[in-house]
Amino acid sequence: MAFPAYSNKRNPKTLFILGFLLSLILPGCSSPPLPPEVKLVETMNHDLWKARAHVYAPEEYKSYETTLKNIMDDLIREEARFIWLRDYEPIARRLKAVLRDGEGILKKVEERKEAKRVNTTRQLSELEERIKELDRLSLTINEGRLARRSLTKAGLMIKEAGLFREREDYDGATSRLTIASGYIKASEDILVPIFNRYTDKTLIEKWRRWVDEIAAESRERGTSAIVVSKIDRRLTIYKHGRPFKTYEIGMGRNGLADKLLAGDGATPEGSYRVIKKLFRSRYRKALLLNYPNEEDRREFLRLKKMGLIPKRAGMGGLIEIHGGGKEGMTYGCVSLENRHMDELFELVPLGTPVAIVGNAFPRDDISITPQKVGDD
Amino acid sequence: MKRLLKVFTYGLLVMFILVGCAKQPSEDMSAAQKAVEDLKATGAEKYIPEDTKKVDDSLAAALNEIKAQDGKFALSRNYDKAKQMLAQVKADAEKVKVDIAAKKEEAKKNALAGQQAARASVKEAKALLAKAPMGKGSRADIEALKGDIKGLEDSVPELQQLIDKEDYAVAIDKAKAIKEKAEGVSNQIKEAMKKVKGK
Repeated sequence: MAFPAYSNKRNPKTLFILGFLLSLILPGCSSPPLPPEVKLVETMNHDLWKARAHVYAPEEYKSYETTLKNIMDDLIREEARFIWLRDYEPIARRLKAVLRDGEGILKKVEERKEAKRVNTTRQLSELEERIKELDRLSLTINEGRLARRSLTKAGLMIKEAGLFREREDYDGATSRLTIASGYIKASEDILVPIFNRYTDKTLIEKWRRWVDEIAAESRERGTSAIVVSKIDRRLTIYKHGRPFKTYEIGMGRNGLADKLLAGDGATPEGSYRVIKKLFRSRYRKALLLNYPNEEDRREFLRLKKMGLIPKRAGMGGLIEIHGGGKEGMTYGCVSLENRHMDELFELVPLGTPVAIVGNAFPRDDISITPQKVGDD
Repeated sequence: MKRLLKVFTYGLLVMFILVGCAKQPSEDMSAAQKAVEDLKATGAEKYIPEDTKKVDDSLAAALNEIKAQDGKFALSRNYDKAKQMLAQVKADAEKVKVDIAAKKEEAKKNALAGQQAARASVKEAKALLAKAPMGKGSRADIEALKGDIKGLEDSVPELQQLIDKEDYAVAIDKAKAIKEKAEGVSNQIKEAMKKVKGK
């Protein structure tokens, strides 16, 4: 390799080469400091990540990330430039702007989180209330194994949702509340048709008519009559047309429904008579009723014809008012405590009219409202 | 002066050769990236999110440092800092991976304990229910409680599914909820039985 000849004269060419070579060495000696915003942005990134900005403000966060990436690329390019050409000022300005964006996103995230927290809390408490109501109603009707199975699952989901909410995982909580809503709906599908009967005006009028008729008979003939109100779980003896004594009763496992066929566990509704007094029964003493009566038979045939009752199904029978305890679950009979059965047995003669009704008196606590939670 | 220029030029050439050899630390880069990938594959983001994020950020910073050096004039490139950073990332990732294994094991242990406790509570409630007088003459509530227990029984297998998916936190929550409910049912059955006995 040839080198330029040295001359004592200051050769401008030599000076230029020397200057150039020095310029290659000097930049490595020192470097201007990075703008302080670089550190601030690092902190901001961490804060945004911790606040889960990607979840609560995904659009804004994506735009923030893209802008920041461009700036950081430019910063790297700037760092690569010769020392005297480096200018961090424009980058610092852009970083300041991106920091302001980050602050805005953090604020939005907090607002959205709060809104989700409020919404989750509201849904949670609404569903909890709903479960309580259905739980109470399912106990009222003595039924509900299936309804309660779903209610239990709903309750578990709600508990889980509460734990997710505590961890500020509102999406997790919401997904559990949605599942809980489904279980509650399944439970309602079982319970609502039963309870709807008790708010049906036509039915209520029919029940009132049966009660009025046997009360009138008791008044006119000076005899006894029995009214069984299923929703109240009470049996009332009428004397001379007036309520004389009331006892608590037990019914079938599906007691609040009207009996349609044998084995449905429902207690029949209708106007009946005591057709036999059994001094010795498996359940202490018993009053046998004339179930099924003509109306029951007509209804049974009508429903069978419509295909609402299986063709091979029977009507059932042997519906009694018997002892054995009011806590008992019968196959459709009405049960009383033994001592009450003894009293009743003495008070009513053969032929006593018996009205078994869903609801002898209007009540407000048996209404059931459709589920609203989860709709919004 | 001629001699001086000669010495300077040779020195520069030596420096050029030495510094010009500075290449991207691709091996260190791959090793650090693999360590972070391995860490993430363990589900680290779920168990130790803070530490995992820190390791991830350190890797990004090291890669930026390499980018910065790449952009410099060949003579002034220096990857020493990047190499150091990458070595640190690798060491940190490996350390967090060890921590994760311990954390996961602990979470699994807790989930299994929760599952066992939930199962035991449901079993107890079921056994109590079996002792309660059934059929005619039984408490009406018992029938309803059967439904409650059935609901709990349906939910118990979900615990194993969650554990299999390594979703230990949710499994622990669910087990807790099942256990509480089962205990509530047991208490109700005991109350119901007390009432029946008291008659």
